[in-house]
Amino acid sequence: MKIYSVGIVDYGMGNHASVVHSLRDIGFRVRVSNNAADLDAADVLMLPGVGAFPSAMASLHERGLVDYLHQQVNLGRPLIGICLGMQLLANASYEHKHTIGLDLIPGNIVPFADHGGHIGWNTLEFSQNNSLWSESDGEAFYFNHSFCYQGPSEYQVAVTQHLIPFPSIIQRGNVVGLQFHPEKSQLAGKTLLKNLIEGLVHA
Amino acid sequence: MLKKRLVGVVTVKDGWAVQSFGYHRYLPLGKPECLVENLDRWGADEILVQVIDRSKNGFEPDFKLLEKLGKLGLETPLIYAGGVRSEVDGVELIQLGADRIVVDAMLHDNLEVVRDLSERLGAQALIASLPLSWKEHGIKWFDYRYKTSTQISNEVLGLIQSGIISEVLISDWEHEGMPGGFEEKLIEKFPLKDANIIAFGGISKPGQMRALLEYSGVAAVAIGNFLSYQEQAIQKYKEALTNMPVRLAKYKSTFSLIAKTDV
Repeated sequence: MKIYSVGIVDYGMGNHASVVHSLRDIGFRVRVSNNAADLDAADVLMLPGVGAFPSAMASLHERGLVDYLHQQVNLGRPLIGICLGMQLLANASYEHKHTIGLDLIPGNIVPFADHGGHIGWNTLEFSQNNSLWSESDGEAFYFNHSFCYQGPSEYQVAVTQHLIPFPSIIQRGNVVGLQFHPEKSQLAGKTLLKNLIEGLVHA
Repeated sequence: MLKKRLVGVVTVKDGWAVQSFGYHRYLPLGKPECLVENLDRWGADEILVQVIDRSKNGFEPDFKLLEKLGKLGLETPLIYAGGVRSEVDGVELIQLGADRIVVDAMLHDNLEVVRDLSERLGAQALIASLPLSWKEHGIKWFDYRYKTSTQISNEVLGLIQSGIISEVLISDWEHEGMPGGFEEKLIEKFPLKDANIIAFGGISKPGQMRALLEYSGVAAVAIGNFLSYQEQAIQKYKEALTNMPVRLAKYKSTFSLIAKTDV
């Protein structure tokens, strides 16, 4: 019996206890590391994150993780970015200053039109029928961000309404970004994580 | 549509969770981590842990408590308040498990620190705490360290308006712990009409929550003492607010969350 493993990429931004707890609770093995050898053993890589985009990219560069993540994605290993981790997947961000991102999903990270934040529980609306997401359609998840993704619609899996609809899940191949915090979204979050990880490893 | 939130508050003094009455009388409740675990299990929308003996005594934030809470693996967003003095404190608190932090004394002492925190952590992680009271001539801003009340400074209002801070925690400190005591004029007359507000202090009744949540600027109501009187109090409040834009009450699920495995 195979138990799938998730490697949490530790680049010094935020606390991973909630992500680890949620993943273990739903039956996955978890390892938190910034070491390539440790992360290589994972079926899925996860990039969480709390904070500002420029300091997060600087931390990834300092630890040599930018090249590592590119290599892994090119090898087809699934990668899930959470909140700031999702934003890092894009080409660049305009938070504080223009900063180049991981460049894994085309698009940019821009402020909301009203330059305000989007904080609290909000629902997801999926653009396509897909069994991977069916249990999460219409469920509320916890968001906490001041910037959002802007990019081609082909990479937008779900949107959330805040002033105008903004992309809350983006995907390019095996790379998926979640703008919300599934690990802080109680049962709805665990359900989504379970379906997403199982879907990616079976794809 | 963004939901309005019910925030569960745990007040901590001298290492113990307490019920607080008007910022001057305290009754012990138990270990803070037990109360936080309950709120997590009962489905609060956010949990605010406010440690009230830090800035007053010149202490650093309660990192040990945060470390304990961080290890719980909470499934509910956690806000920390108490003794935040610098960008370094803020980063450490986030790394220990806080999702957002509250600044209070720094709004009186050093706005530059608040700007630095915002630059490092992002505005969404920052909440400004304003303990307020309603007097004959309007709103007064309380500095609990020195027991003085003044007008809210233009610098602080400007800071909030600039978007460096995401939300304002308006605490009716005089009516804290008094059932139904929250003074609605603190919201009605708050000078910044477009600020996102968390209302706290003497909020105990569903009708009162409903009235507060109907203000467009009120993003959340925070409840402290009144959650201690019954099990699942958050869910009972949610049930009573069913036709409001709040996340629905959910007690439990029978849905299996164990991942499928290959044989």
